[in-house]
Amino acid sequence: MTVDLRKDFVDYAKSLNSACEDTNIQKAMTRAVGSYRDTVAETMERFQHTPELAREVREIKSQSVANLDELLKQAMASVERNKGKAFYAKDHQAALEIALGIIGRNKTVVKGKSMLGEELHLRQYLEDNGNEVWETDLGEFILQLRKERPMHILSPSIHVPREQVAEVFSKFFGKEVPPDIAEEVKAVREFMREKYFTADIGISGANVVAADTGAMVIIENEGNVRLATGAPPVHIVIVGIEKLVPTFQDAMKVAEVTWRYAQYGIPGYVNIVSGPSKTGDIEKVTTYGAHGPKEFYVIFVDSGRSEMAKQEKFSQALNCLRCGGCMYECPVFQVTAGHFGHIYMGGIGTIWTAFVAGGMEKATPLAYSCLRCGRCVERCPMSIEVPAMIGELRKRAIHGE
Amino acid sequence: METKMPAVLDIISDNIIKHGNPLALKGSETAAWAKGLDLPVRGELLFYTGGEYQLLPFIDSLVKTITHIDQGSKVFSMMMGVRNMLNKAGINAEKIYASVLAKDKERYNSVCFKAAKVLQGLGYEFCYAGNKELYSGALLYELGYSKDMKEYAQKVVEVVKKSGAKTIVCLSPHAAEVFKFVYPKMVEGFNLEVLTFVDLVWQRRAKLARIKFSGAVVIHDSCRLARELGIHQELRDILESVGVEVKETPRSREWTTCCGGPIKILFPELSHVIGARRVNELKESGSEHILTSCPYCLSALEGGRAKEDSAIIEDLIEFLYRGAEA
Repeated sequence: MTVDLRKDFVDYAKSLNSACEDTNIQKAMTRAVGSYRDTVAETMERFQHTPELAREVREIKSQSVANLDELLKQAMASVERNKGKAFYAKDHQAALEIALGIIGRNKTVVKGKSMLGEELHLRQYLEDNGNEVWETDLGEFILQLRKERPMHILSPSIHVPREQVAEVFSKFFGKEVPPDIAEEVKAVREFMREKYFTADIGISGANVVAADTGAMVIIENEGNVRLATGAPPVHIVIVGIEKLVPTFQDAMKVAEVTWRYAQYGIPGYVNIVSGPSKTGDIEKVTTYGAHGPKEFYVIFVDSGRSEMAKQEKFSQALNCLRCGGCMYECPVFQVTAGHFGHIYMGGIGTIWTAFVAGGMEKATPLAYSCLRCGRCVERCPMSIEVPAMIGELRKRAIHGE
Repeated sequence: METKMPAVLDIISDNIIKHGNPLALKGSETAAWAKGLDLPVRGELLFYTGGEYQLLPFIDSLVKTITHIDQGSKVFSMMMGVRNMLNKAGINAEKIYASVLAKDKERYNSVCFKAAKVLQGLGYEFCYAGNKELYSGALLYELGYSKDMKEYAQKVVEVVKKSGAKTIVCLSPHAAEVFKFVYPKMVEGFNLEVLTFVDLVWQRRAKLARIKFSGAVVIHDSCRLARELGIHQELRDILESVGVEVKETPRSREWTTCCGGPIKILFPELSHVIGARRVNELKESGSEHILTSCPYCLSALEGGRAKEDSAIIEDLIEFLYRGAEA
């Protein structure tokens, strides 16, 4: 079988070129890169133990990736022990079907930001099956209304300036929303508040999962995840199996390094969720479904990850904490944002594209637009050797596996 | 699964494999700079150009020519088969080569000459393979043609061996990188000491004459040199030795910003944007005199410099030659 990628390269080059000419992207990225660098420098100065902790986390992640099967078993057992229900999804389709099986139809769903959600096209799938789904992360919500895909893993609507936000909000809310950021945020807050408390289901991802305890650690700033996972009667976590680490202590270390390199001294909220809400206050009888959800589900998604873990040359890509730091340092990403990507972005995203979300066809043009300059490695708390892996991908594009 | 890739990749890899140079330049052309220097073909230290500085004006010309053929969709023509498009437009490769400006050719060719003169001035004696010299194959490796690279590397090593050298000094950090990190894995018994031009100058920097130069320079660290080979303080030491002030940009040394060069052939517009941004970033240091130490950086930054921009972009070799000449 021959796959002709020549047109893909042409289309991709066009998309990169138009991104370079997009003044919104240029303005937003310049601002974002500058503030990222300043804030990280300042934060690292304040928390000087961070690089050392990152080295420790690198070891934790490498060992976890080498031991995924065992950790998964443990974590699933922990979730069940906590009176939650744990599922393993081998691929995208399985994950979607499990989610739909829990949710059903004609439900209202509030969702936190999740790259795995993007990978699964989860919102689309649930909507197609007759559900109402709301992205509660402000950036994701803007993109939901604009019918666009994220341009950064942490700041998905990085390319949309306030004027355009006002435009799309005014149209959607059916009233004039001025191009004032505080006003825009307020409009969404009012709208979303009602959704949290009427929704049937809340969905979130997780940044780290501790196998020993079944604790899901979810980092956020907006407070949307607290509400989306706390208010509805059902909470579903969708999480990639690469997020597993052995212990709760490990998870805390991973979480701190993740937010620190995502430019936070400490994030607004760190949620630790391990099961349905419960109380024993009346006669010491444990009863599930107190103020928070009554039902708690975790879907562990594989979809190429365990295959990646087996490949010596690529397994370190699973150490990625998704702090997003590398993207700010990437000269290509700085001018093209998420156009340098498929679902996952930048150099590391190219590796993820090849194995997890898109395949070699989507990954190959991306791989050839990487400069292999290596500055991402300097920034990466896990020192992931992206240029070397890009080289390996190119080799596969030319010679096959 | 077989993959059809943009034709320009095939052309470049074919050229390297068949002609020992990414653009099929003739050995006599890449070695022309050495006329009159009477460099021996055998010796302890092998001076290695890889034909890289020499081919720079041709790369630009190739990109420009293709741009000229079909303004509406230059990317399209780049991707869909250079050879094909060139033939249809009645332009052959020879004409591309002929359209290279004499002054560009002169400039980039002379870099090798100047490097040789600087090293001789420091008392180094070296040999040179002349028109037998082959390109290192760095692009084969870079673009994913690893199997071809493995075969090709044997040919390169044969030429290198004929010199009898124990040490190879590379002008291009890309060549140094592959010789140092890739060749030992591909060629059995490859144990040549690999150094760069910068290394040799740095070792004898005390002998350098001071350079009469008013103002300061800013260094554009090449990614390969700074991050892969770990050479960045050396450049500053050398400039200190010749009495020239260096201004720094925050994006320097291992945090240097890429010039955009590596994607020039497949994504010329994006490469240009990145080069232009880097020039501006360097100028924020307060110096408009940019020095680099890599052929592709030199070419990409020159390309990224706006026409009306008064910034000067030079290779360290060119800059040091001022002192050697005096």
